[in-house]
Amino acid sequence: MSLKLNDVTVSRGVGPVISNVTLEVTPGEVTTLVGPNGAGKTSLLESLSGVIGISSGSIELDGVDISKMSRRRRSHAGLAHVQQGRMIFPSLTVKENLQLTARTKADMDGALALFPELEKRLDSATVLLSGGEQQMVVLARAFASKPKYILLDEMSLGLAPVVFLRLIPVIEQIAKTGVGVLLVEQFAHLALKIASDALVITSGHVSYHGAADALLTNPELLKKAYLG
Amino acid sequence: MWLNNVVAGLTPGATYAIVGVLLTLMSQLTRVVNFAQVAVGMFGGYISLTLVTKMHLPIFVGVIVGVLVAAILSALLGWIIATWLSEASTSARSAVTVAGLLFLISLAFILFGYRNQPFPTIVAGPLFTLPGGAVVSKVTVVVIVLAIVITVGSWAFLKFTAFGVKLRAVSDRQMAAELLGLNVKMLNVSVWFVTGAIAGITVALVGPSASNDYVTLSSIVIPGAAAALVGAFKRMDLALIGGLAIGAIQGLFAGFPNLLIVRDWVPIIFIILFLLWNQRKEVWDVAR
Amino acid sequence: MLRVRVASQEKWWLPLAIGGIAIAIGIIIAIVIPADSLFRPTTILVASISLMGLGVVTGTAGMIALCQLSFAAVGAWIVEWFSVNDIWGNIFGNFSFVVYMLIAGVGTAAIGVIVGLPALRLRGVNLAVITLGIAAAFDLTLQKTSFPALVAGKHIARPFGLGSDFGGDKGIFIFAVVTTALVAIAITYLQHSRWGSSWKSVAFSERGTASAGTSVQVAKLTAFAVSAFVGGIAGGLFDSQITQANFSSFSPLQSLGMYVLSAVVGSHLIDMALLGGILFVVIPWILQLLKVPLEWSTVIFGVLGIQALTTGSNLGTDIRNGFRRRRAKAMIPTEVGLASSQAIAAVEIPRGTGKVLLDIKGLTVEFGAVKALTNVTLAVEEGTILGLIGPNGAGKSTLIDALTGFLPEHGGTVALNGVSLDKLAPNRIARGGLRRTYQQDRVPPTLSVGAYMRFVSRGQAKPAEIDEILAFFACPPVRTPLSLVDVGTRRLIEVAASIAAKPQVLLLDEPAAGLSHDEHVAFGDRLRQVPSRYGVTILLIEHDLDLVRSVSTSITVLNFGEVLASGTQESVLSNPEVLKAYMGETELL
Repeated sequence: MSLKLNDVTVSRGVGPVISNVTLEVTPGEVTTLVGPNGAGKTSLLESLSGVIGISSGSIELDGVDISKMSRRRRSHAGLAHVQQGRMIFPSLTVKENLQLTARTKADMDGALALFPELEKRLDSATVLLSGGEQQMVVLARAFASKPKYILLDEMSLGLAPVVFLRLIPVIEQIAKTGVGVLLVEQFAHLALKIASDALVITSGHVSYHGAADALLTNPELLKKAYLG
Repeated sequence: MWLNNVVAGLTPGATYAIVGVLLTLMSQLTRVVNFAQVAVGMFGGYISLTLVTKMHLPIFVGVIVGVLVAAILSALLGWIIATWLSEASTSARSAVTVAGLLFLISLAFILFGYRNQPFPTIVAGPLFTLPGGAVVSKVTVVVIVLAIVITVGSWAFLKFTAFGVKLRAVSDRQMAAELLGLNVKMLNVSVWFVTGAIAGITVALVGPSASNDYVTLSSIVIPGAAAALVGAFKRMDLALIGGLAIGAIQGLFAGFPNLLIVRDWVPIIFIILFLLWNQRKEVWDVAR
Repeated sequence: MLRVRVASQEKWWLPLAIGGIAIAIGIIIAIVIPADSLFRPTTILVASISLMGLGVVTGTAGMIALCQLSFAAVGAWIVEWFSVNDIWGNIFGNFSFVVYMLIAGVGTAAIGVIVGLPALRLRGVNLAVITLGIAAAFDLTLQKTSFPALVAGKHIARPFGLGSDFGGDKGIFIFAVVTTALVAIAITYLQHSRWGSSWKSVAFSERGTASAGTSVQVAKLTAFAVSAFVGGIAGGLFDSQITQANFSSFSPLQSLGMYVLSAVVGSHLIDMALLGGILFVVIPWILQLLKVPLEWSTVIFGVLGIQALTTGSNLGTDIRNGFRRRRAKAMIPTEVGLASSQAIAAVEIPRGTGKVLLDIKGLTVEFGAVKALTNVTLAVEEGTILGLIGPNGAGKSTLIDALTGFLPEHGGTVALNGVSLDKLAPNRIARGGLRRTYQQDRVPPTLSVGAYMRFVSRGQAKPAEIDEILAFFACPPVRTPLSLVDVGTRRLIEVAASIAAKPQVLLLDEPAAGLSHDEHVAFGDRLRQVPSRYGVTILLIEHDLDLVRSVSTSITVLNFGEVLASGTQESVLSNPEVLKAYMGETELL
């Protein structure tokens, strides 16, 4: 039972942006993916959810090959992808955003339990919310779809660090309900603290794969990954 | 005298308004300016005409079949675009409908012949007379009511139903909606189906009173698009008002025979000026 | 302003030669084929000219214009008016028709400029709707006013005193052949001129065009004017054939048909416009022979159109790409590429002259309630490279947009070498000596490397200098079509072209994104030389800290729209605040 990337290569334009990457996301745990800008982190998540196609290798979700499936079918198979840049639906209210994925009242309540502060804003248009609140809506919406695995891409982008701190324990909480989380973050330390596994990716290659703790306790390792 | 002319302009005006509202819906929900919007209705209208006059079916059966044909043709065009151009630009998607328009008009010539026949009348006759002598016909009222019902109905549908919420989500961010598991293609095609059906109903209503050759009928999409431009292809209420205003202005100018040429140019110039004013602050395209 | 330069300079005579041969073949056809069979070939030529005109505005400049036959109608109307009223018959004699036709072209071009005015603000489908609306209004007007010859109940005199007999038809065919050849030659030269480059550029990116110092307004309006001129000529030629025009030949629906046909064949290419003209005439003719209703030809065009438009391809480009792919390997030398290119002698990080060249004071940008830049003050010293770094969303690209005129509502002042740049349009700023490159690919793939270099450098670099700069950055040679060049290299070519424009200051927005690590190093080695070698001062935005470190005289860090630190490399990079901001490790220390 896991979300697996087997020897996946993704090409865009002329060259590969991801080369022979293998990784595994375990249910109930946070796997953190760090690396400098342009290393291919976003492309990696996009290939998992089907935003872009893969050139070789395979993607397995709980033993089922999903690499040929449409984005919609991958979603139904239990994959949720939160893309970069606060992917709210601006013309929808908070409630409507959540209703898109929440099939039952229980799903809705479960999503709202993550962020009780959203309750009093249910009927506001999401476009009027602050950046942090918008990101809460997006995370709650993904959780309401009851995914088995959730991919989070740079949720902190454009948010003040204090605001992002509010999201971190919730991501941990989501993992505790049995969801496998793949986290891409520029706030590497925060992201590594809640992770069990970690990967460092540079220029499309995995340059480190191991325990998150090791990266945390050895800052030189991380600095090298970022600054070359 | 002038009031009579304005009232006379309201029937075509309401037709433009309906087309404008449909085009706005299409543009918002499926990212297409559908140049074949009226042509599918025209085609459905001629199907009903053939069924009624050649096969002697009752009018309502003919109309229902015609409306269904319009809806299916529209859905087919939508399916083609959703399948092959799902991530293409609005321009590229819309250009396909230009080809679709030509296709439908020429097919109509082949299937239904060259001679224009009168459409079977569904509603006819005057309804009431305004003080001052302007006669308001039943068709005028029915079409205006239909225009308002379509506008308010679409707004309410989008606002209050779960299906409407999904449509708006797709319109906001198609990719994000797909990633949430929404069936974007089905949603898109259903919009095409419904707007095609409404175009069919509209043609069935106004066809008898409008000049009804294939080309003239299909060309209603031009003033309809002008009406939609008033709302910048975003606001249905402005498209509704825009359509009625264009019809009324054209009617008004009909009263001045020496201004007949100006009359044809008023709407387009009005809209160009409106749009230029609306986009005055932009410094070239941000996206490209 | 308008300078004609053919891309492959050694073959400038080729279009003339082909045109001459075409005319010769036309004359032979006119002699061999019986006169009563020449009506259709003449119509083919008229349709081809119309398609060539449409090819300029829609194919080359990328604006959907749905009123091409309205232009033809204007041309026919003007020719008839002059002819019916016999304005200068006694002055120009047999040549008066040609004079009227030229007047028709110029008059239609003027109308074209007016029709093109909305295109300055509207684009894409909105513009398509507007042009279709104009075509419809035009049609209604023509229905009411009709054409001068029809109103007067006359037929106009054919050019050169040709009669309306079979001999005259032969003459008209030859006249059409010559006209078509001249139009085709003129369009070929125009496509390779600065105007042609600006059309191709504006089709790909308006902002990119403005940043190349070219006025987007001029580019769009010239495209409309040329297209309308050619349309007017086609209308006049049409009238020489039929001698009495009727509004029904110019309906909006037929303009739509022309557009679809143009999209199917790709009529910005001359040979394809000819093919389009042939299809336009031959398909209905074959159907007629087969006794099939004529409308099937429109059905066929409709289906072809849907196919062409959904796949985004056209016949002409497909055929050419097929040929090119075979030649592609031969065209790009294998040794091209930064990493494998010869190492450049190591040069130290440039030291400036001490003079402030670009002076930014209190720059503030607000998007609604969000402050993207707050009171940014920055000075770029002549002869240096200033590295600008900061986390994602810090406002780096916004800063460049504001400096180059795309955010005219910004607060604060910007001066280049003492001259204020505030309130200047982007193309003025570029010409004034402040250039930029883009993070996204804004290099129009329809140009060749050389045409792009000439277009961007605006005559500031001689051909030899262009070759030298391309070689310096290990870019492919001038003859290579940009469509064969990968995105990373395209962005290098953008940098090279901007340097060839000899600006005082060049703003580079992540020029090395998309290059491999080895290429980064090679790129940095070259960048260090740019200030001394080409006299261009550089402001470099870059994520790759290695590259920034290897080239920058000084570094400025932007965070949340404010300057966090500024100074020498050592002082900035050892600043703990900077490390925190750059790595986002707020809680680390």
